[in-house]
Parts: sequence; structure tokens; C-alpha cells
Amino acid sequence: MPAAADWSDRSRELAQLLARAGLGDRAAFATLYERTSAHLFAVVLRINRDRAQAEDILQEVYVNVWRSAQSFDAAQSQPLTWLTSVARNRAIDSLRRAQSQPQIQAAPTSGGDDAEDTDVYDKLADDSAGPLELLSRASDARALTHCMEGLSAPQRQSVALAFFDGLSHAEVADQLQQPLGTVKSWVRRALMALKGCLEAAVQRDVAGRG
Amino acid sequence: MDYSRPELADRLAADYVAGTLRGPARRRFEALLPAHPALRAAVRAWQDRLMPLTATLAPLPPSPQVWQRIQARIGGATSAAPAPSAWWARLAFWRGFAALASVAAMSLAVLLANPGPTLPPIVVVMNATAPAGGAGGVMPASFVASISGDGRAVVTKPLGNVALQPDRVLELWAAAGKNPPRSLGLISASGATVVRRASLPLGTDHLAVSLEPPGGSPTGAPTGPVLAVGQL
Repeated sequence: MPAAADWSDRSRELAQLLARAGLGDRAAFATLYERTSAHLFAVVLRINRDRAQAEDILQEVYVNVWRSAQSFDAAQSQPLTWLTSVARNRAIDSLRRAQSQPQIQAAPTSGGDDAEDTDVYDKLADDSAGPLELLSRASDARALTHCMEGLSAPQRQSVALAFFDGLSHAEVADQLQQPLGTVKSWVRRALMALKGCLEAAVQRDVAGRG
Repeated sequence: MDYSRPELADRLAADYVAGTLRGPARRRFEALLPAHPALRAAVRAWQDRLMPLTATLAPLPPSPQVWQRIQARIGGATSAAPAPSAWWARLAFWRGFAALASVAAMSLAVLLANPGPTLPPIVVVMNATAPAGGAGGVMPASFVASISGDGRAVVTKPLGNVALQPDRVLELWAAAGKNPPRSLGLISASGATVVRRASLPLGTDHLAVSLEPPGGSPTGAPTGPVLAVGQL
């Protein structure tokens, strides 16, 4: 199961490839692309669902990575974290430009049975995993599991919609049919709870080793 | 707003990385990043926290055209356009100068009459990477180098005048294959320099001279423009 542990395992090799690409090594850059493009494409396509646009974004991302590989600092960031951040930023920027076009379909509102605690987003015609399912998969990483469990269901759901699908606060509010202020505070509290929890987990790790 | 306030920096960074900071606010935040180390640190911390979540997305290979378009943009193998490839990897560059090298070898034999070595020295011409006249901002400079038969000494000499600025020095590099070059030391712009080493790095196949700050490259790799390169 892919999880945060893999994330760091892959780092050393990717850092070397990035360093070599920074020196102008095309073969290293090609290998870097081979190892990371499917991941970055999944991230981008999740945010911008237009496949042609997503491929354009991916192209821009890698051209930029080639040009700025020299500035990557392995002491400061993990390579996959850096690459994923670059890709996410590009994808989010592309939404800004295409804002006049609707990015999301309206949630099915039939029935209105509030007792149902399912994620409406999962019902959309899309065979990929819903944001909540993704969060629970991410939770396989030890620390994240624990921390995600600490979030309330609406907190989890709003963070998932914002993070995986690139929805703005207002779009999350639309999606969940909740007031904007409520959604903002769910996201904020979820992020802060996550931070506190992950930091505590790191400290436990350190204490456990020492 | 005081962006060095940790609490504010953290809140903005969280929104930025989570993707909920949008529109003009997102652009303003990005514009602030280069000048605010505290913001950058907060962003990195949030990226470390949140990016591993994306590990759960099923990988999705893009179409092969994407890589082809990237290659075209960065001047890939199929393109003859000048590309930012490392000078020590541009082997084609070298072949054109093979003939020149033998001419220079004869002249160098006169310059460096070497009394009775067991192995003949290897002579390398390091041709200027810049066109004559200094177009492109890099000064033209060529050098010859003679590597002793046992590889323990390299003698360099500039060919013609090298107009070196007082705050710059010349550094000699040895490169083997596609590996990053290794420094052999600083050399003179006006006369012969003898560089002594235990031996040249294994597999050295070319030499180069780069322009560096006083004292030589601070990083261990060429930091200034490469003025001249030559193949063994």
C-alpha cells in the first residue's frame, strides 16, 4: 500500500536524479520523469479534470523542473514533496484562469436525507477513489492514521475536497451545502488539528528512539 | 501585515499549501515568499505535512506525447538546438577539435621540452567556448595542457592573451565521462602553471577551465562560465 513511508524511501534516488538533471544530465531527467510523471499527473488531473489541460500543465511543470533543478535543495525538501508542490501549484493556478468555466458538477440533491452520512462527491460519475477514501488510504501511514481519526467527519470531508480536488472554500461550501464561514472554520480547525497531531507523533517517535 | 509573526505565517502557509488560499490573495502570498524566510519555512513545513497525502492517488501515466513535447521544449536528443547540457557531456563538441589538437601538440612539444620521460606526455588543447571578440559576454580564452606520462603533473599555458579581471581567477577541471568535474587547482592567465597531483581522477577524458571568484570555486563544481574545454 503506498503511503508516507514510501515517500521518504524514494527520496534518495530522486534527489540524485534531480541533482544530475541540475547539471544538465538528460538521461537522469528522463529517468526522473519516468519515476514521477504518473504520480504528478494523477495529482494534476484530480484538480484540473480536463485531460488536455492537465497534460499541458504537466508539460510546464517538467520544463520548469528541468530549468530549476539546480535550485532544488535536498537539505531543505524531499524531492517528491517539492515536485508534487510544484505540480499542485500549477494545477491550482490553472483553475484560476478557467474560473469562468464550471469545474465541478452540482451534487445530486435528491432525497435530502440528512441522516445519510455518505460523501455525495463519491456518487459522481467517476471511477476513481473519492476524497474520503483517499484520506483513509493515506491513513495507512501510522502517524496520519491516528491524526486523521482525530478529525471530525465534516472536517475530514472539507479538507479532502480542498486538498485533493482543489476546491476553494466557496466551492467546498457549495458542495457540502454549508455556510461559507462554517466550512472555513472546519478547514482551519482540521489543518491545525492535523499539525498538532503530526508534531506530537514526531515527538513520540524521537522519544521512542532515544 | 507583519508576515514574520509566526502565527500569521503559519495560517497563510497552511491555506496556501492546502490550496484554499485563492485568487489575488494567493498571488500576493507567492510574491511575498522570496523576501520572507519565515513564510518559506512555514510553507515547507506544511508541504512536508500534507504532500504525503497524495501518495494515495493511483498513479496515472500521461500520454507519450507529453514527454515528446517536454523534450522538444528543453532541446532534447532529436534537436540540434543549443541546449543547457553539461559541457563534459557534449562529446560531439570534441570531435571537431581533434585535428587542432595534433597541431598544438607539436607546438607544445617545443614549449615544454621534457627531458626523458618514460611515457610521452598527453597534450590537450582547451579551446575557447566563446567566439572571438567576446560576443555573448564570455571572454574568449584558449589553453594548452600537457599531462605528464605518469599523470602526476599537468602543465597549462594560455594561448594568446587572456584579459582576466582582477577579481576573477581561472580554475582547471578534470572530468571523467558524465561525472561532475573535479578541480585540479587554479592556473595562471599569463604564463605556465604546473599542477601536481597524486594522479588525475580515473577515466579523465577532458579538461576545462572556468572563471571563478578569488580562491576558486566555493562549491567544488564550476560556478562561473567555462571558458575553454579540451578532450584527452
